[in-house]
Order: sequence, then structure tokens, then C-alpha cells
Amino acid sequence: MSRTGLLRALADLAARPHAGSAAVAEALELPRPPTAGEHADLFDFQVYPYASVHLGAEGMLGGDARDRVAGFLRALDVTPPPEPDHLVVLLHAYADLTDLAASGAPRADHARRVLLHEHLGSWVGRFLARVVELGADPLRTWAHLTVRALADELAVCGPPPGPPAALRDAEPLPEPEDATAADWTQGLLTPVRSGLVLARADLARAAHELGLGTRVGERAFVLRALLDQDARAVLGWLAREAVRQADDLGPVAATGGEPTARWWRERLGHTATMIDRRLGAGAGPSGAESGAESGAEEDR
Amino acid sequence: MDADLDRLAERVDAARTATEARGETFYEGPSRSQLAMFPPKERWDDWVELDSKAWPKRVEKRFMLVPTTCFNCESACGLLAYVDKDTLQVRKFEGNPESPGSRGRNCAKGPAVHNQITDPDRILHPMKRVGERGAGGWERIGWDEALDELALRIRRAIEDERQNEVMYHVGRPGEDGFTERVLAAWGVDGHNSHTNVCSSGGRTGFQFWTGIDRPSPDHANARTILLISSHLETGHYFNPHAQRIIEAKHNGAKLIVMDVRLSNTATHATEWVAPYPGSEPAILLSIARELIVNGEYDRDYVRRWWNWKQYLTEQHPDRPATFETFEEVLRDLYADYTFAYASQESGVSEAQIRAVHAAVAEAGNRLAVHSWRSAAAGNEGGWQVSRTLFLLSALMGAIAVPGGTYPNAWNKFVARPIHLPHHPAAWNELTYPLEYPIAQNELSFLLPHFVEEGRGLIDVYFTRVYNPVWTNPDGFSWIEMLTDHKKVGLHVALTPTWNETAYFADLVLPMGLSSERHDITSYEQYDAQWLSFRQPVLRAARERLGETITDTRQVNPGEVWEENEFWIDLSWRIDPDGSLGIRQYFESKAEPGTKLGVDEYYGWMFEHSVPGLKEKAAEEGLTALEYMRRYGSYEIRRGIGPLHETPVPAEEHATDRRVDEYGRVYSRDPEPPKENFAPTGAPDPDHEGRRAVGVEVDGEVLRGFPTPSGLLEFYSRTLVDWGWGEHAIPTYIKSHIHPEHLEAGQVPLISTFRLVTQIHTRSANSKWLDELSHTNPLWIHPVQAADVGVVTGDLVRVETELGHFVVKAWVTEGIRPGVVACSHHMGRWRLTGHEQAHRLNTTTVALHNDGSKWSMSPEQSHGAFESSDPDTSRIWWTDVGVHQNMTFGVHPDPVSGMHCWHQAVRVVKAQEGDRAGDIFVDTDRSRAVYRQWLEKTRSATVVSPNGERRPRWLIRPLKPTSDAFRIGGPVGRRTDDAPVSG
Repeated sequence: MSRTGLLRALADLAARPHAGSAAVAEALELPRPPTAGEHADLFDFQVYPYASVHLGAEGMLGGDARDRVAGFLRALDVTPPPEPDHLVVLLHAYADLTDLAASGAPRADHARRVLLHEHLGSWVGRFLARVVELGADPLRTWAHLTVRALADELAVCGPPPGPPAALRDAEPLPEPEDATAADWTQGLLTPVRSGLVLARADLARAAHELGLGTRVGERAFVLRALLDQDARAVLGWLAREAVRQADDLGPVAATGGEPTARWWRERLGHTATMIDRRLGAGAGPSGAESGAESGAEEDR
Repeated sequence: MDADLDRLAERVDAARTATEARGETFYEGPSRSQLAMFPPKERWDDWVELDSKAWPKRVEKRFMLVPTTCFNCESACGLLAYVDKDTLQVRKFEGNPESPGSRGRNCAKGPAVHNQITDPDRILHPMKRVGERGAGGWERIGWDEALDELALRIRRAIEDERQNEVMYHVGRPGEDGFTERVLAAWGVDGHNSHTNVCSSGGRTGFQFWTGIDRPSPDHANARTILLISSHLETGHYFNPHAQRIIEAKHNGAKLIVMDVRLSNTATHATEWVAPYPGSEPAILLSIARELIVNGEYDRDYVRRWWNWKQYLTEQHPDRPATFETFEEVLRDLYADYTFAYASQESGVSEAQIRAVHAAVAEAGNRLAVHSWRSAAAGNEGGWQVSRTLFLLSALMGAIAVPGGTYPNAWNKFVARPIHLPHHPAAWNELTYPLEYPIAQNELSFLLPHFVEEGRGLIDVYFTRVYNPVWTNPDGFSWIEMLTDHKKVGLHVALTPTWNETAYFADLVLPMGLSSERHDITSYEQYDAQWLSFRQPVLRAARERLGETITDTRQVNPGEVWEENEFWIDLSWRIDPDGSLGIRQYFESKAEPGTKLGVDEYYGWMFEHSVPGLKEKAAEEGLTALEYMRRYGSYEIRRGIGPLHETPVPAEEHATDRRVDEYGRVYSRDPEPPKENFAPTGAPDPDHEGRRAVGVEVDGEVLRGFPTPSGLLEFYSRTLVDWGWGEHAIPTYIKSHIHPEHLEAGQVPLISTFRLVTQIHTRSANSKWLDELSHTNPLWIHPVQAADVGVVTGDLVRVETELGHFVVKAWVTEGIRPGVVACSHHMGRWRLTGHEQAHRLNTTTVALHNDGSKWSMSPEQSHGAFESSDPDTSRIWWTDVGVHQNMTFGVHPDPVSGMHCWHQAVRVVKAQEGDRAGDIFVDTDRSRAVYRQWLEKTRSATVVSPNGERRPRWLIRPLKPTSDAFRIGGPVGRRTDDAPVSG
């Protein structure tokens, strides 16, 4: 039984809703299609369905992480679309390669395994776990279903022999003393460095739990504003969050295999330990100790 | 394996099969996956951004996002105005993602609208001339005074039956039909477009093929894109087309650009073909010949859709009227157009022409083509450029299929308005003179010569977003006309900003810019029909806040108005009691006897005339008007496809049906209600009055094309009947600048190209655009520059048939050797001593006149100045180019009426004392050149086959009544110099 139609349908719901989304959602037995607002709220403002955001050294769109995917597609004689690392593109590419492999095309089976291990399984479990947690109902169901579908694909392809290259090469969060406040804060928001996938909603939750005020702005600004108010409390929250997220790596193991899950677990553990160590020493990170300094840097 | 997933996979596959069986798309693939770049529309009422001017402090600004439509070029790209909720000022413009054509993207001219609305020199109040015309004296007056003076004068002209002494001369229309209907309501055949200095050459070639005068290439899905000149794709439909061309390139399409210059588009081309200007048809015909000889064309398409039978019957009556015979004849017709001949004519290598042929041949029917200005607008016979280009599409069957080229009227939607007035009863011979019976558009640029010859006078002359003194050739003849009160009684400039023509007006009335006026627009940019709404964004914003706005002047700056309300008000003043039959077209339907408002006008149209809009709006609990005010655009339908293949329902050809010998089907059944008012040809009824309803193809009655035959007209009987039989099929006419026609030392000057970041007169009041592009040097190849003895920056004199201009040289390999080029976008000026003027990007000049001899000399170069905008004190550039058009004689093509812009010039080193921007012209020479070209014409009085002035089926903005079509019919003006009554 070919699953490629299923994978393409799942991909369709990661793109902006369109007139045909209802039919796709119905076929997938979702309660209803996501609305444009639900889609935008989640994928434009909370978690981002891009490999580069999860695997890039800056935690942002584009860069080397995107180029890796583009290069992979070019090696297959495919002209990369403008955003080659978007989940929609990757799922379609995987489905296309699966069809090609089924038709006996040379290299196709190998290529789809590489795509699954290196470019999908390396990050998509982290992303989907956060969608399950933060998304509206149809998108949560969609994420569960996507994890299941990719888990079955991994079962067919087999687990990767070790962590994907993009993870193996990733630098961890720097020691606070070795970074400016801005860089350290940005590192926390960079999944591949801190292990954390922090959405705006998480920062709002932190503020709520700690009784702090939330400033409106980009995530780095919000996080620095929280640190300015009570660095120790916020750092403690971040350490606990790292532990919490490390407990939710089931989707990573399912879609990327145990070596990949292990890598994320260790990266989160490293971050939690670093923060705890810092707190145990009685201080916050250098940048977090002085709100004035943090703000001053922003103003320079 | 998860068995439940198998079940789901089966469901998905079944759903997909069922959906696709209905011809619909199940899932759309990864092309929609890009991260949303725009504020989600759910948040358009309250969007928060940080104030860039407050940086590095983080100051939040709250905006209301209101859509409108850019007015800077014809593309009608969507804009989103960011209205500051604290101050209710527009802070910036960005793209409107809801706009189907532009898809949220804009070129530089979109955001620059903000410069235009804050231009420190913009006209904010109605102004009336004080002193002599052109002397620069102005006083501020009220709208009532201006309107009353105009209304009195127009009413008197109408009552005296000299209604065609009222003329509306329009540059960029930027709207679909509103003002044409105003003129129709007045009974005035006074529409005068700029099109014969713009695109009528290109249009003519398309119209004689399809009955529709514009092409709509489906670039995004093409395998090969063939552009004759880059004009449309770098300057006109730049943004909507460019993004789709790039999509096609990403998908592996080949892009072929024929242009003497290495234009922006050419830099992206697979093949940049730089032919000798005017030789393009020779190349295209050689490619056609090769396709024919090799049998690489779509035989079945040609058999079904070309009017080959009519051609054989009428031109080869001795041969059997079979398709096989036609194919033989076709091979013979173009036998001389070998690659070697094309190479000899064009200077392009045979190898490159072969490469272009290969790209065309391998495209199959996914061949998208376009030609607009450049070659079609530059050369005598230029209309054959688009006719020979479309020959390739017609051979390949690449018409109205994905990746092919559609007739534009199928990819455009013009909605029925609330009132439809009748067309005028008198013919305007100043716009459609007898010498040009099949001209595509009005002979607008000949107006000064017609008036000079005593063919008529103009009592009220509106120039509207038009600057003929600067834009047209032969500008000094325009100044001579406009300064003569006997020729032009009252000149009214409807313009947002000062320009070279407004300096010679009696009334200058300030009109709104992109975000200050209502219009609807719809353009052919892909295979769909959509409608966009231009609106005064502050009106929409304040209405969202609960205010009631009844007049757009309440929200516009100063007393800037919009045209809709202006024309309605003026029409009421012309006919206050309704006795002239005019007022009825400007009355409310909801409350008869009261003035029609823009809310009712557009509300009615959106509710009643735009399929699906009312229902779409209702899904969000909005009225149709509220929907358009909120989102700005609506895609009515996409995937229009080959409408000519649509079967005609039997009930439309049931009564007294007649099929002519070529398959044209006529009937007396009434025409079904018309939904789309996009302009098309209107095939004549048969000689017994039956309506043309379709065409019989392989035994089936299909809708066909709006041509006389209902088929694609490879052979134009219209051209035969109206005296131009030698050009009835696609052919090559040697241009007036063909080497055979040049004198020793002359070279062609190409003046038709645009700069990507400017748009004629209208964008000069944008500081950002001016900083990007502000001069127009003469492009000259190094070989030629060495001959002349100049290097980049040196001054050269360019000698034309009327005089000369002085310009800086730019030595570049980006142009074909032996040709020079200078963009027509620059060289703006203001007159010395004028306080009211446009200061951005203008040189202050003095005009000198001695009899027929005119000269213009720069008095003060451009530079920084103090104004309400601190940026004007930071202007760092001084060279704003030269106004070369002043030195060009008029070159009306005798068939299309298009001004043939290319000039035969001599380029020499500047003489001592010459300054950049110097111009000299002798208007006696202007008149001689006019007469020389007039001699090429074949007047309707000689060639008309039926005693009429023009073939009725051809497109015309206003179609006068039958009696007016008759040669000698009413002309609606004084036929002598009798004084005006009253």
C-alpha cells in the first residue's frame, strides 16, 4: 500500500489553507481543516516548519542549513524552490523519491533514506511535538498523524546509524562568560544550540508562572526583558523547561530514530546543567545580571 | 506497520481521484509553502510594528491596514496602506497579499507612493491662471468656481451641437470605463487617449489576428518565453509579469529577449537577441518558415482555427480550397524568409536565429509571447511585429492554453456599471480622421497639426494624468497650440502634480493619487479574471472607525479630489434639471432624483455585476462593498482556458440561422446578457441583420474569436477592404529607419525604453525613485563612440529632422553597435520664474522663440532645495537628463496610426557652448514632417468599401451611432470659424 498520497496530503495541511483544504482534512479524518488564522498563529508566530530554524546555527530562516537541503535537491537534479527546507517541500520530495524508488529508479531509495534521516528526522520530531502542545485542535491531530506516518517510514527505511550531520556538527550553547548577553540569549532561542524550541507562547507562559511582565516584541527581546526583571527566576524556569522538553522526545525517536533523540536529550541536558551550574554559583549569566547592560547593548 | 494509516492512505487516494475527476485540484503542491510575508488579514484592524523612526528605542505603533491599488503604472498592483491609528496618516505602503496579480509584491514604484502623497510640491487646491498662458501666474480658487465655469462652457457646447469641441485627453487611464461613460452620457465623442504614442502598433497586430488588441501571456507555465523588447517586463507590467517569468525560469523555461539594448529583462535571458531595429519581423518570419517547412507546427490547430479557407478562396480562387493546398501555399508564401535572409536584415547570426527557432519548436504550445512598445512602437509597419510574433503562437497552437498566450479580454473582467449611457451621435474627426480609417486608437499626437490646419477647434480641453508637451513628440507644436486661445478655448489640467503641460493650462485641478481615489481595475497577468479596487484609504480607515464620509475631499489632503465625484458633480452642474438627458446617468437608483454617490456606484456594481463576490463577502458577514474596502481585490475565476472552443448553446442559433461559406454562424436570436465588458472586437451582423453568434468548426458551433470570420485571421479581409491588401497576411514592412532609408552618417535612435524605477511624468515626484534613476544618457557602443570621438560623460549633439538636442554619452557594450538609445523617461523641466512648479528632478529652463524657431536652454541645474521635506535638502544629483522628445517629428504609421518613435539621427561631438539639455527645434520642419507622413495614408474617402469612416467591428472606446459612421455624417463641431454663441 503506497503511502505517498497520504504524505502529500499531510504536507498540504502544513501550507496555507486553501479552498481544497477541507477535502484534504476530511480525507485525513481531521475534525476540520485549520483556519487561516490558526495556521498563521502557529506557523508564522509560534513554531516554524523549516529545517533551517531548527538546525541552523542562528536559529533563523535560511543560511547553511537551508543550503544543505538545496544542495541535496540539486544533487538529485531538482531545482530547489525558494524555500527548499520548508516541511511541505520536504514531505513532497520524500513522497516523490518514494514513488521513484518504487518504480525502480536508481539512487531513489538511497536518496529518500538520506532525506528522511538527515533533512526530516533530524528536526521534525521536535517541531511536531511543539505543534501538538501549542496548536489548535486540527493541527494537533495533524501533527500526531504526521508523527505516525513518518514513524512508519522510518520503520521501512531503518534508523540512522548515528546522529545526522547537521546535529553532529552543531556547536552547543556557549558558556555565559564567553558570550555577550545578546549572543547568549539568541543561543537559548536557537534549537540546535540549546536544544530548546522556545515559542512566544512559552515565554508568555514563563512570565505568567513567574509573575513577570511580558514585553511585546521579538522573542529575543521578550526573553531579555524577562531576564531583566528577574534573571535567577527566569534562568531557573529555562532549566526546568529544558528538562521538560527532554521528557517529550518521543516524536523525535519515532521520526528520527534513537540516535537523533539521544542527541537532542544530551543537548537539552547540557543546557539545563549549564544553567544550574551558573545558578549554583549564585549568579546569572553575565548578560542577565544587569538589565541595564542588556538594554544598553540593544540600544547601541 | 500502522494498518490504520493504510486505511487513511486509501481514503486520501480515493478523495484525490474523485476531486481530480471533477477537474479540480486536490492538493496544490509545495508552491504555497512560503512563510507568510504579510500581516495576517485577521489583524488588519490593529497591527503593531515598531516605529522605525524611533530606533533604537522600541516604540510601538499601531496601524490599520487598508488596501488600495497602485496608480503608477498599468499593472494595478495591490498596496496596503499602513494608517497610523494615532494620527490617521499613511505611514507607508507595502504589498497587498490579497491582490491576485501582484501577490503581495511590488516594484520600487509601489512603496514610493508615500513620497507622492507627501510631495512638498503637490497641488493641493484648484488653481486658475492669472496673466498669459504659460507665464506662470496662478491664483487659488474654490471648486465651485471651477466647476461652474466648466459646466457653463460644456453645456453651451452641447446645446449648440458642437459637443465634440469638448475633449478629454487621457494618459494613464488607471480605471476601466468610468470616464468613457461620462463622455457617452454627455453625448461627446471626445475621448482622446495617449495610445498612439504608446501601444497601438503592438495592439494592431494582435487585433487583426484575434479581434482583441492585447495579449495575455501565461509566463509562469511556459516552456519558452519570447519577448520582443523588454518593455512590458521591465517597465509596464513589470512586477506581475517579472515574478511569473522568474517562476518559469525556475521551472526550466527558456527566456528569449529581442532588444537592441541589454535591458534588465535581457540580462535574465537564455538568448539576448539584438537585431537591427525594425528587422524583428524578418527574424520571426524566418522562424515561422522553418516551423512550416519542417512540419513542426500544430496542423490540426491551424486547420481548425485559421481562416485559411477564406484566404484561399479570395486570394487563390484558381486552387482547390483544401487545407493541403493551403499548406503548400503557406510554404511558398514564406519561402524567401530564410535564416540567411533574416540574418542579413537583422545582423543577428544564423546560429542564434536557429537557437531561437529550436526553443520555439520545442516549446510546443507552451510558448508565451509578448510585444508591446519598442519594435512595434518604433517602426513604420511596426504593427507587423506583433502580427508576425503571434503567427508563431498561431502555428504552435499556443493560444489560450497553459503556458501559451491568451487574448487579454479573456483574462480581464470589466463589470457592468449602475448606468450604461448611449454612445454619441457625432463623430470626432480630430481624433479619428478620415486619413486613418483603421487606426487602432485616436491620432492624439497629431492634434496640434489638425488644429493648425483648421480641421477644428477645441473649446474645453481636459488633459488628465497626461503631459503631451513632454510625453508626445514635437512638444513645441503643442506649446504653440496650447498658448493660442483661438485654438484651445479653455485648457483644464486634471493632475496631482505640476507638469510641463499644466504650465500652459487655464485651470489646474488637483486629483488624488493611488490612495486618494476610487477606481476599479482588472488586467491580464495570468489565466484568470480578477478585479481590484482603488480607494481613498483614509476614507476607508475613518469609516472603519465609525465615521460617515460623504465626499472624498473630507479625507484627502488640502482640497484634493477624486475623479469619480468630480465628474458626477460636474455632470449635475451641466444638466441641473435633467433636461439635457445627462443627469439621469449620475442619479442614485436607491433614491431617484438625488446625486449618485461612490458608495452606491461601487456597491451596486460589486453586488450585481461581479460573479461570486456577494457570496464571498457574505461568508465573512460583509457586503460586497465592505469586502472590497477591506481586502481590495477579488479573483472571480481562474483557469479560463480556450473560450473560443466553448460550444454555443443551440438556443442562441435557433432562429433564422445562417452559416456563411467559411463557417461563420449568424442568427436572429437575441444576445444573452453580457457579464464581462472587457473590450473586444464586435463582429458585424450579416447583410440581413443577423447577429454573429459563433463559428462552425468540424461540425460544431463554437464561440470562436471576435473577428469578422470568427476564426484567427491569418488573412485580414478588413485590411484588403480598406486599401492595405498587400499587408493582409503577416509580413515584413521595412521600417522608416531601415538602412535603405538612412542617409549617410545617420543611425537609428531608440527612444522607447523605460527605466524600471520610473514611470513617465507621474513618478518624478517621488524622491526615492528619483534618487534611483534621474538621468538619461545616450547609450552608445564603444566602436561608434570611437568613431565620434567621445568617451563616457562627454557631451554629444544628436541631430534629428527637426533640430537637435545635447546629451551626455554613456559608452557601453550593452547596446548593438550602430544604434544609439536614450530613455524617454527623463529630462523633466520647469520654466524659469515660475513659482508654482514641480521641483523634484527638474531642470529650470528658459524657452526662446523666434517665429518657428524654438530653443530650450537650462538656466539652473537640479539640486537641493528647502521644503517641508528635509530630504529635499539632501539631493546630491544635478543631472536630470534631456527632453529629447521635443526634437522628434510626428511619424504616424499609415495603417495603425502609431507614432513610429525611432529616429534617424546623426551623432556628433557637442559644439562649443553646447550644454547638456540644450534643445533646438524648427516647427516649420515639424509641419513638413507631418505632411510627409500624411502622404503615406489612404483616406477613407478613397478606400472605404461602404461609405463609412471606419470598420465598425474594430475596437473604439466610444462607438458613435450609425449615422455618425457615415462619411459626411455629423461631426459635432463648428465647421467654420463662427464665434461661439452666447
